[in-house]
Amino acid sequence: MLSYIVRRILQAIPSLIGISIITFVLLHIVPGNPVRILLGQHYTPQRAAALAQSLGLNKPLYMQYLIWLWNILHGNLGYSYNYTEPVTYLIGHALPNTLSLVLIATIFAQLFAMLIGTIQAYFENTIADHIITVLNYFFYSMPSFWLGILMVMFFSIQLHWFPSGGVVNPQDPNPGFWDWLHHLVLPAATLTLVTLAGYSRYMRSSVRETLLMDYVRTARAKGLRESQVLWRHVLRNSVLPQITLFGLSFPALFAGALFIEQIFNYPGMGLLYWNAVGTLDYPVLLGVTMFLGALTIIGNLLADILYSLVDPRISLESMS
Amino acid sequence: MAEPLLAIRDLKTYFVSKQATVKAVDGIDIDVNRGQVVCIVGESGCGKSMTSLSIMRLVPRPYGKIVGGQILFDGRDLLQLNDREMADLRGSDIAMIFQEPMTALNPVLSIGTQISEVLVRHRGVPKREALDRAVEMLKFVGVPRAEQILREYPHQLSGGMRQRVMIAMAMICEPKLLIADEPTTALDVTIQAQVLDLMKKMRRETNTSIILITHDLGVVADMADHVVVMYAGQVVESVDADTLFSEPKHPYTRALMESIPSLEEDKDVLYSIPGTVPSAANFPKGCRFAERCPIAKPSCFEKMPELREVAPGHLVRCDLV
Repeated sequence: MLSYIVRRILQAIPSLIGISIITFVLLHIVPGNPVRILLGQHYTPQRAAALAQSLGLNKPLYMQYLIWLWNILHGNLGYSYNYTEPVTYLIGHALPNTLSLVLIATIFAQLFAMLIGTIQAYFENTIADHIITVLNYFFYSMPSFWLGILMVMFFSIQLHWFPSGGVVNPQDPNPGFWDWLHHLVLPAATLTLVTLAGYSRYMRSSVRETLLMDYVRTARAKGLRESQVLWRHVLRNSVLPQITLFGLSFPALFAGALFIEQIFNYPGMGLLYWNAVGTLDYPVLLGVTMFLGALTIIGNLLADILYSLVDPRISLESMS
Repeated sequence: MAEPLLAIRDLKTYFVSKQATVKAVDGIDIDVNRGQVVCIVGESGCGKSMTSLSIMRLVPRPYGKIVGGQILFDGRDLLQLNDREMADLRGSDIAMIFQEPMTALNPVLSIGTQISEVLVRHRGVPKREALDRAVEMLKFVGVPRAEQILREYPHQLSGGMRQRVMIAMAMICEPKLLIADEPTTALDVTIQAQVLDLMKKMRRETNTSIILITHDLGVVADMADHVVVMYAGQVVESVDADTLFSEPKHPYTRALMESIPSLEEDKDVLYSIPGTVPSAANFPKGCRFAERCPIAKPSCFEKMPELREVAPGHLVRCDLV
């Protein structure tokens, strides 16, 4: 197990280098010049040259890349042009917010998807199934930012149940856990709803397939109660594809969080990235992208490990 | 004679959809006495598997439906029980083993879990104790390294071993009736013989009645006390095993016998019954075998023959014998 994980991490290094090169090149192809943006109305050619030199932007591209790579190997992701703070510090502050948002949304989405998908498959082609299907497509086709705006309009502006943005109440000198949770409800609910729909469709078809399996008939022939048949025999087999989905969708969830954080002005990785795009803040953009790349790889690894825990037919040793 | 353990009366199991009604089982009567092995023989699609699933009340939903008849088990009509009562009976008094041991076991649950859960469910035995019983049962069905197998998963076992596990699972509550739906079809010939021997041993030691569904007349000769031949959803002949092989009456049964290759004759082409089984969605009004029957008369196509007793205990659905 441990040797497998170590091997997978070592295998990830070339991928990460590839990601960094592509990102680096793409960023510099994007039209616009961070120096010009930073100087704004104070722009003069002399100031621009001086700033470019201090930021290292006057060096040839490959040198810039190598310097960046050298720094990253020393745990230094560079300084943000915009905030003049280390990128590691910025990510370190944004990450817990995004992570709590994404994790809570994933957990709820998966749990509800399992429940809804199982109910739908079990009561296939009943009215309940059809109604849930329609609702599913409704949320599936809804863009997250649009749903987010609707949530704010309804639950914050009309009903005043939840704050419309931020992580804590800025006027409260000592915001506690409940205040934090209160702020998290709307963005997490939005992210849950838009991802739940897709997950539960997968779950429905997976349970449907499993219900037709011979071993389900065997379980019934043994006289097991329907609840036992469903929870013990059907569900454990049906969640297998769900685990893969979980691993693969991790980066997509962060991307979804990008829009939601923007709508709810929620200071996470998404908002950090969003603001960095506007000012061509190269170090932040690179840092966040690299982080997401690593996360993708970790997500896949996590899915593989989970898979081997749930399915006895798969052992990590045989997968490499 | 004592009352039979299982008495199927005029059972009808249909598949009903908007397009068609398929009469998979169309009015059959079968008796199974205590400790008796009854073989149900017939081609694929003759309704023998649906008969067994009907007894278990596990006909595939939503299209499959038992539309009429009675299944009297130990004096109770199974078709009158509610789902809960029926589930209490399944695996406890009536057990079933299936054709495909590769897919009939759950791939993500250990053998121990799958065997012991039957005992836990029906006898209320604690899991620990149920696992001990499972080991005994595995040893009884001839599984080596039983303690170790308990912790293994179906994919780690061979087909023969899996079928033994299925039998252990079915027999652990000592059911009064075991239904085996082509239990050896998917196995090697040598393993087939072992599994059949095991079922005989079971019957000897627990006096369990067995319904054995097969299309293999060799298995019938080896196992059966009584044989029921089915064709197109109906019973066409029902008789004790010895008489069936010495004096088959129904033209279909005779044709089946004919199609067994024999060592004495040297034939280049094996005998096969001409024609095909009529579609269960659209049966002819006369005898269902008439189309393929070598001795059919015009009257056969007009009127459905009754199942009648031609000799004591020998029922045949043919007017010409």
